[in-house]
Amino acid sequence: MSKEIRDSAILNPASDTATGITEARRQESLLKTGALQNAIFNSANFSSIATDAKGVIQIFNVGAERMLGYAAAEVMNRITPAEISDPEEVIARAKALSAELGTPITPGFEALVFKASRGIEDIYELTYIRKDGSRFPAVVSVTALRDDEGVIIGYLLIGTDNTARKQIEEDRKLLDQRLRDQQFYTRSLIESNIDALITTDPHGIITDVNKQMEALTGCRRDELIGAPFKNYFTDPERAEAGIDLVLSEKKVPNYELTARARDGRETVVSYNAATFYDRERRLQGVFAAARDVTERNRLEEQVRRRTVEVEAANKELEAFSYSVSHDLRSPLRSIDGFSQAFLEDYGPLVPPEGREDLERVRRATQRMGQLIDDMLLLSRVTRREMHMEKTDMSALAAEVAGELALGSPQRDVQLTIEPGMTTTGDPQLLRIVLVNLLGNAWKFTSKREHAHVSVGTVQDPEHGPAFFVRDDGAGFDLQYKDKLFVAFQRLHGQDEFPGTGIGLATIQRAVRRHGGDVWAEGEVDRGATFYFTIPDLHVFYRVKGEQP
Amino acid sequence: MSDKFILLVEDNPDDVALTLRALKKNNVANEVIVAGDGAEALEYLMATGKYAGRATSDLPEVVLLDLKLPKVGGLEVLRAMRTDPQTRLLPVVILTSSVEEQDVITSYDLGANSYIRKPVNFEQFLEAVRELGLYWLVLNQAPPVGH
Repeated sequence: MSKEIRDSAILNPASDTATGITEARRQESLLKTGALQNAIFNSANFSSIATDAKGVIQIFNVGAERMLGYAAAEVMNRITPAEISDPEEVIARAKALSAELGTPITPGFEALVFKASRGIEDIYELTYIRKDGSRFPAVVSVTALRDDEGVIIGYLLIGTDNTARKQIEEDRKLLDQRLRDQQFYTRSLIESNIDALITTDPHGIITDVNKQMEALTGCRRDELIGAPFKNYFTDPERAEAGIDLVLSEKKVPNYELTARARDGRETVVSYNAATFYDRERRLQGVFAAARDVTERNRLEEQVRRRTVEVEAANKELEAFSYSVSHDLRSPLRSIDGFSQAFLEDYGPLVPPEGREDLERVRRATQRMGQLIDDMLLLSRVTRREMHMEKTDMSALAAEVAGELALGSPQRDVQLTIEPGMTTTGDPQLLRIVLVNLLGNAWKFTSKREHAHVSVGTVQDPEHGPAFFVRDDGAGFDLQYKDKLFVAFQRLHGQDEFPGTGIGLATIQRAVRRHGGDVWAEGEVDRGATFYFTIPDLHVFYRVKGEQP
Repeated sequence: MSDKFILLVEDNPDDVALTLRALKKNNVANEVIVAGDGAEALEYLMATGKYAGRATSDLPEVVLLDLKLPKVGGLEVLRAMRTDPQTRLLPVVILTSSVEEQDVITSYDLGANSYIRKPVNFEQFLEAVRELGLYWLVLNQAPPVGH
């Protein structure tokens, strides 16, 4: 602006004729007034509208022409600025001013200049309407023009186009709204978390908490923020050590602490905590989430208690089995022993039918003894503590088959055992499985003159790698295959093939304790195949695959 | 051989009768002392209680010991025997109905010399007693008394 003034001065020839100090001052004053007026009226950035006392436009500068689209001649001496203003705003302004100043103000030009006319500085926002009907926001400054006596002779309305600023304001509002939305979103995430959340600075001073943390401590957010984290736990040293641990490890899971609320209520919580950083990767502090583990601990305690109960029940069961083993067998021995003694001592005095009756008593006794033994074995298989080790199944099968062959030397059983079968399992249980399966194979081929029994492995489409024991004996009707593994269920009569019906149930338990499965295929008079899986058999298969 | 005797620790009179019968059937003519419970067995061996005054050096060739006994159990009897210098090395055969793994292990742990499960079948029992008598009374070299 000052440059423009100087430029105007250079152009003014009066500045060259210096005739005295007073004259020079007068010149200078005139120069300045003229220059100012020029500057103001030629400025395209300000609309300067001067009116007479009634409001009729007298001066309409270049800026006004440019902003409003009217030529000065079109408005001068014709209209008031109220006619290029938004009429509703003019009415609203009149109402507001009437209320504010306690005097009726006409909704027209008066409303635009009333304050200025009372000597009150007045700058306000107003929507101007261009000649083409389009509108723009303007900031208008109103000044009353007075003569030497102070009587108002007109008004000067200087306006600036506020569009750009309005736009910036709008943008900022939008940004602010977005920021608030974002903050609300973040906050609601923090608040809706079921964990008690907390942030601390690197010194363990709380910087933020959520509602759950307030509930946990019984303290308000503003009380918590700024206080040391450790203050709210039964073991402050451990709490502080936890923060230090996070700072050194960057992440700490499942750190248990007991929070103590203001009212003394204690809550066991498990902390998951990590350090957090700003955009420049500068350490900001620790973010920690505490979950109430009271319920979890209670459940764990319950599990522990139940385990103790189960163990006690198992002990009882063991004691019971022991009693069964001893006490039930003992009278059986007496029945059998004295029956035999009777037969030996008094047999000749008894008719053959009587001796036969007593023989039946003895057979029944021995069968009951077998039943007790089988039940005990079944119970032992169930409660046995598993000791897993790599087991040579081929060798085990050969050993068991050897014992069977020794027990019935008159039998002709051709045995085939696949070499190199190994698995990882409890050798005692695996032995029980093979003793029962091979024992069955021996038993159910007992009516064959030449029997064939084989032990091997197959790749079952459903179960994967499986062991099998196959015989060509009596077999069974497939429609009863579901009954096979049920204790005491038998598919053959005692006189046909003796047994207690517990063997396959025992096998099933032994196999299932390894996480495996057992099933059978068969056909009456064409033999049976029993399959079982011991889940880590794949190890064996892979090894086998590598060494073809 | 006739001065070699057997101590049978057994509370069940049926089992006592059957054991005696089995011994007799197998022509084991040795004297059999029967103790009806663990306490009596220990009194006999240690020459205390109603056996006070008995010579403690007069020991059986073998002790046939049931496990489930009134008053003092078989395993307790065995433990007491193994801590007494007189009976420390005395052969003990566990003769029981139990095949509980734990019983077998504990018995051997405590120094049992043999563990036999009484079979239900009397013929099998007879065979077991025959072999037992042959082994412990005839074949086995007993430890010298007092060592």
